[in-house]
Amino acid sequence: MTSPAARERRRFIALMLMPATVLLVGLTLVPFIVSVVFSFSNLSLVTPDDFAFIWFENFGRMFESAEFWNALRITVIFTILAVAVQLVLGVGIAALLHHETRSVPLLRLIYLLPLAITPVAAVFTFRIMLNPSLGVANYLLKQVGLPPQDWLGTPGMALATLVAVDAWQWTPFILLIAAGGLAAMDEEPLEAAQMDGAGPITSFLHHSLPMLYPYLAVAVVFRSIDAFKTFDIIFVLTGGGPGVATRTLNLLAYKQGIEFLSMGYAAALAIVMLIITIIASQAFLRRINLFRPKAAL
Amino acid sequence: MMDQERRPLQPLHPAKQLRRVLAPWLRRLILWIFALWCLFPIYWLATMSLKRQVDAISRTPSFIFEPIWDNYINVLSSGEVWRYFHNSLIVACGTTALALLLGIPTAYVLARYRFFGNADYGFWILSTRMTPPVAMLIPFFVVYVRTGLFDTYLGLILAHVAITISIVVWLMKGFFEDLPSEMEEAAFMDGATPFEAFRHICLPVALPGIAAVAILTFLFSWNEFLFSLVLADRIQTVPVGLYNFVGYQQIRWGELSASAVVMLAPVLLFVFVFQKQLVRGLTLGAIK
Repeated sequence: MTSPAARERRRFIALMLMPATVLLVGLTLVPFIVSVVFSFSNLSLVTPDDFAFIWFENFGRMFESAEFWNALRITVIFTILAVAVQLVLGVGIAALLHHETRSVPLLRLIYLLPLAITPVAAVFTFRIMLNPSLGVANYLLKQVGLPPQDWLGTPGMALATLVAVDAWQWTPFILLIAAGGLAAMDEEPLEAAQMDGAGPITSFLHHSLPMLYPYLAVAVVFRSIDAFKTFDIIFVLTGGGPGVATRTLNLLAYKQGIEFLSMGYAAALAIVMLIITIIASQAFLRRINLFRPKAAL
Repeated sequence: MMDQERRPLQPLHPAKQLRRVLAPWLRRLILWIFALWCLFPIYWLATMSLKRQVDAISRTPSFIFEPIWDNYINVLSSGEVWRYFHNSLIVACGTTALALLLGIPTAYVLARYRFFGNADYGFWILSTRMTPPVAMLIPFFVVYVRTGLFDTYLGLILAHVAITISIVVWLMKGFFEDLPSEMEEAAFMDGATPFEAFRHICLPVALPGIAAVAILTFLFSWNEFLFSLVLADRIQTVPVGLYNFVGYQQIRWGELSASAVVMLAPVLLFVFVFQKQLVRGLTLGAIK
């Protein structure tokens, strides 16, 4: 059954896939395998000549250390809070925007800005605004009669501030996806429901929201994966502090690997992070069926 | 949607329904408060960059002040900013070119051809996004230090391609899927090879999509912080330069802000000019 055309077709597919595959294998798969190998070793750039395989010792050390469990707890809390805030706010604003008629293009342009702006620049601005004595945030609080806050100084407050800054940057991501989903939606069932006397909020919850699920599922999966490995915001705003109050797994791995140069241990941390991510997202991603090719030649 | 002659039994348009619970002025107010929240840090950065030192660190932050350009003059004449700009430009352009060159053919085949493992290949590409950055960073760092790729443009470009290529393939796949496959089928009738159909029929039509993905890749590379911070030392890109600024000149907020505004200029330009393309890219293809 191998006609010349079929052979040419196969050769074409292989050739087209080749460049990116070589690159992805070389630049992501190989480094990843190297990381797995490192995670079983005591590799440290401080003492590179003492290299030896210590197998599961890194993982044992990790699971016994308080700093790992603390970092895991903070990472999970941060991810859940950040994504939840962004989901509620994003869908809410999208629903309002959907019914707005005036200056929608301008609003959309403004909403796009936090997503596009260099995170380090934005976070640096937040640092200025949140300065306890000179920042505009406390000044505005004072104007409305509220006590000033030590935004980054206490553990709970620092985490809340990080969630807020992450929400500043990423709420528009969910907002734009939800708005796009609403715009693409068939409104007939909605109108039918309202004919039956359903109120606007009921009809939004029972008809619009279920139809938005495919969009929101993608948005939440991507957002959760990224929130789980947030780096820029935390690194620039708190550096993991005060103390270790906002030191997430990613920051812990960075500190161990890049600052203390214990690559083996840091690699083990990264592998555990990846396993958590895969378990959490695999089932979800498979179900929403993103991977069927739509047309076939 | 907005038909004026409403028959008695026809239901209210959903927009009209919502107006009942939420007065239009209230809805508009909420939307603009959210817009203000999105804009405020950028606005504040801009005002800081135009303030004198005394105004910038005054205990009562001033909303009204006499703007000065000194910060910009100092920053632009020092040459530091230009160096970061130059580095970022090389890295971002190199990344965009390489990622597109490698990613587009793969995206096309994934979009158009059914073959064994197509869906798995797509999943694998997307799963590279899940890898925690440190898992890639450590091998990169170790290898770069040994091979001399550390602190080179090529080294940074390769790292950025590794990060962005999954997005390039993913988005381009979406763009190709939007194009009618009848175009190529007609070309095959005329005896075109698969490559000719791709190169001469599909690729020209896909140019707007390619442009959108190029802009997005450039933006990702321009904004990328962690890999640029770790894998280079003298070659500082814009975010790294900005980060180091914060360390060195903690108190000179005016100049700091002016540098940040200058470094954000290309980003803001992109947002204003290519808004539509960016929406699709920044929502990772979820919104067409």
